[in-house]
Amino acid sequence: MKENRTSLEIIAPTVEEAIQRGLQDLGVPSSSVQIDILDEGSRGLFGIGARQARIRLTIKEALPPVPPPAPLSEQVVEEKLAVENISTHTQPDNQLLFKAEEVVRRLLEEMHIKASVSASTKNSAEQGIPTIYIDIRGKDLTVLIGPQAETLNALQYITSLIIGKQSNQAVPIMIDVEGYRSRRENQLRHLARRMAEQAIKSGRRQILEPMPANERRIIHLELKEYPGVTTESIGVEPRRKVTIIPK
Amino acid sequence: MKTLIEYIAKSLVDNPEAVVIHEERHGNAVNLVLKVAKDDMGRVIGKNGRVANAMRILLRVAASRAGQRVTLDVEEPR
Repeated sequence: MKENRTSLEIIAPTVEEAIQRGLQDLGVPSSSVQIDILDEGSRGLFGIGARQARIRLTIKEALPPVPPPAPLSEQVVEEKLAVENISTHTQPDNQLLFKAEEVVRRLLEEMHIKASVSASTKNSAEQGIPTIYIDIRGKDLTVLIGPQAETLNALQYITSLIIGKQSNQAVPIMIDVEGYRSRRENQLRHLARRMAEQAIKSGRRQILEPMPANERRIIHLELKEYPGVTTESIGVEPRRKVTIIPK
Repeated sequence: MKTLIEYIAKSLVDNPEAVVIHEERHGNAVNLVLKVAKDDMGRVIGKNGRVANAMRILLRVAASRAGQRVTLDVEEPR
């Protein structure tokens, strides 16, 4: 099931149709996928023995669209931040950003991980304190994500507790490593639509792999307005999973 | 590894001066025992041990980098 997230098999009357449908499904341009024709299909004779075309689209492992910023030496970064911090002293937001960066940097240092850390506020439609978005970039950071983002979530949880304690208020914090979360969100949306399609076609409920709550939420939201299916989570944490049920 | 837990624990409690960590080594295995003031126990353990477990996960990364295995216990003060 895992490789399905980056590749997709489509069956359609013709190869062209299959490719078009696949690209639409994945929501990516044809330049970013590899197309394998598994079966060109044939019209058969008077419709007898006609086979549909079968193709596979694989999303090419693209480099992150935004190249990581040139690695500044730790000192330069510190200095830059110190200056920013003084000049924007009156804005509590920047104080928080600075604190958040400091906390994450310290945690990574204690974990013996070299990476660059930058914090920004993410505009959210909701009122109240905006989410602090902390971006971690560097080499070989898969250990920082962990199985099912376990490590990343632990880091995020501990960071938000420390910031919350220091600033005496609950501050929503989101930590991302090399764009992992946004990539994962896209994958999950595509997965959701594909499985919904399958549920409708087969008339049978589709059960997804176990996922943490934030990922299940993405699936539920994506299919909330999707015609023909409803979604529901079943099972007990940490093996709770989404099922997609045809109406 | 010890300093990682020390930093986290001291940042979360009301009485940072009461934070004590003992380190026991048996070859590759390290056991950390964290002691905090009684009133701070909840802060380092969390609901259903959520905080303690998050610390264990981060600890595991630090340990694996050093080729070690590490466990973390939180102990009630006497």
